[in-house]
Amino acid sequence: MALRSRGGWWPALCIGTASIILAVYLLLVTSNWIYLGWHDTLYFFSKSRMWERFWLTVWTATVSTSLSLLIGIPAGYALSRFRFPCCYLVASIIDLPIVVSPAVVGAFLFGITTRFPFDWISEYYGIYIGRNVYGVLLVQFTVTAAFCARLMKASFDMIPTRFEAVSHSLGASPLRTFFKVLLPMAKNGIIASMIVVWARAAAEWEGLMLFVGATEGKTDIMPFAIYLDWNGGMMGWVTSMSIVCILMAVSAISAVKIIGGRSNVW
Amino acid sequence: MSGERHSRKNFNAFFYSFAGFLFLYSAYLFLSNLDQLFVTEAAVKTREITSWGEDREILNQFAGGFWKDPYFWKSLNLTLVITIMTTLIATILGIPTAYALSRYRIPGKSVAEVLFSSLMVMPGSVIGICLIVMFNYGPLWDLQNLLGFRFAHSIFPGMVIASLVLSFAFGMSAWKATFDSVNPRFEQVARSLGSSRWRAFKTVTLPLAKSGIVTGIILAWTRAMAEFSAVLFFCGTFRELPASRFSDFTRFLQMDQADWVSVAVWAQVEFGNIEYGFALAFILVLIGGISVYVMHRIGAKGYVW
Repeated sequence: MALRSRGGWWPALCIGTASIILAVYLLLVTSNWIYLGWHDTLYFFSKSRMWERFWLTVWTATVSTSLSLLIGIPAGYALSRFRFPCCYLVASIIDLPIVVSPAVVGAFLFGITTRFPFDWISEYYGIYIGRNVYGVLLVQFTVTAAFCARLMKASFDMIPTRFEAVSHSLGASPLRTFFKVLLPMAKNGIIASMIVVWARAAAEWEGLMLFVGATEGKTDIMPFAIYLDWNGGMMGWVTSMSIVCILMAVSAISAVKIIGGRSNVW
Repeated sequence: MSGERHSRKNFNAFFYSFAGFLFLYSAYLFLSNLDQLFVTEAAVKTREITSWGEDREILNQFAGGFWKDPYFWKSLNLTLVITIMTTLIATILGIPTAYALSRYRIPGKSVAEVLFSSLMVMPGSVIGICLIVMFNYGPLWDLQNLLGFRFAHSIFPGMVIASLVLSFAFGMSAWKATFDSVNPRFEQVARSLGSSRWRAFKTVTLPLAKSGIVTGIILAWTRAMAEFSAVLFFCGTFRELPASRFSDFTRFLQMDQADWVSVAVWAQVEFGNIEYGFALAFILVLIGGISVYVMHRIGAKGYVW
């Protein structure tokens, strides 16, 4: 018993710190509900302005997630399995859009949309990428493609290369191995990554602030609309939209926890 | 045999092309904007009308003449000091928290895991609004009135709190994973040999978890440097405030009338000083690039879930 009590202050300190921090974070996340109250929350949730913004967020995030999955899954495989000179440098440059401040990414997108591929697209196809919903998709794609590639790399890293080696030794082609061995094994990781990437796309707004700007009902996805309404002093809208964003993030992460597994970025 | 080699080559080329696309896109995004640093005739003409008096000579130079402006050095100083303070606080609070979440049975542990993971995909504006609502209304507001100071729109408690929220969550993601990966058996052996719980942690678990703790510190610092929205919502900008608004301590540290760097990027671009804004942005890119390169080199892992 003496053994148990000696140095007992350390677990007490750890558990105390953890409880206080957990309480603070819970208060932080629930402060909007406490502020707004039940009746006002219901009032704002029944307004169509809220749900128009919600569907705008959902469809832009879905489109940009699909685009970044198309790029991200093969890129993640390449980053996971191939070794080439300067691979750390290449990986660092691919990671830059998620590591630097998103405001910086917005400023840089503002710079490149006047340049080569973008001016060409707007001239020949009449698709202007800028202060419209295409700009929103570009901002979301820029951030989530890098994020998706990292998560896919982590999902493929979880699978030992031994299975591929066995498949090769039995005479399967690399493509067959990829589709019949690797993808089924990485399935859970890919689905979980997909959900997280979607949530990250729906959370992106700093780039929009510098690059796209606000058009009511066209480019104001929910996190950005929070900023706009906050500037307009509409605290009811701000807090009710924050509640929706928090619910989106928490439900995405809960779904991922149910799927299970682990994944890391960086 | 040669046919198989050929198909292998095509296969590799297919996958390399996607990684190459991402690499080229990112490199093009960050490098093609170097010409934004050069001041154009049109910008000079516009500024004749709009700029504030004595700053005009500075602004009409390469990259807005940022190295001559005390605002730039003060902002960099402010950001570095606050991020280092944030990282220190996050480490001091985060290591016991991560250890407790990893080893002890705490009520609400699964809630904590979902909460810390979901902070990584939560919009920054929501974090900022949550901080504003938490500190500027209700009992914490009354407490501030009683004590006579403000958390929001201040440098010292305010900016540290705003950058701490996400920085702590990112550090935790690495620290908790490290303590999970250290076998608790080693500590039990140390305790059976007569050392106290604290000594067993200090001499057994901590050295084993060292590399993961360093990873968490780098992650926390990088995230604190990349913070934008929470600082923008909770603290705002300080450049236009009168000097009397700042305390002697802030002035002594050369942090008065300065902004968080990524907020300054936004403020300068919105103001029309594009070159100045891009100069600040390139400094952030340089810092972020070096830290992410270090992370890749040492094989750092920050777990999302």
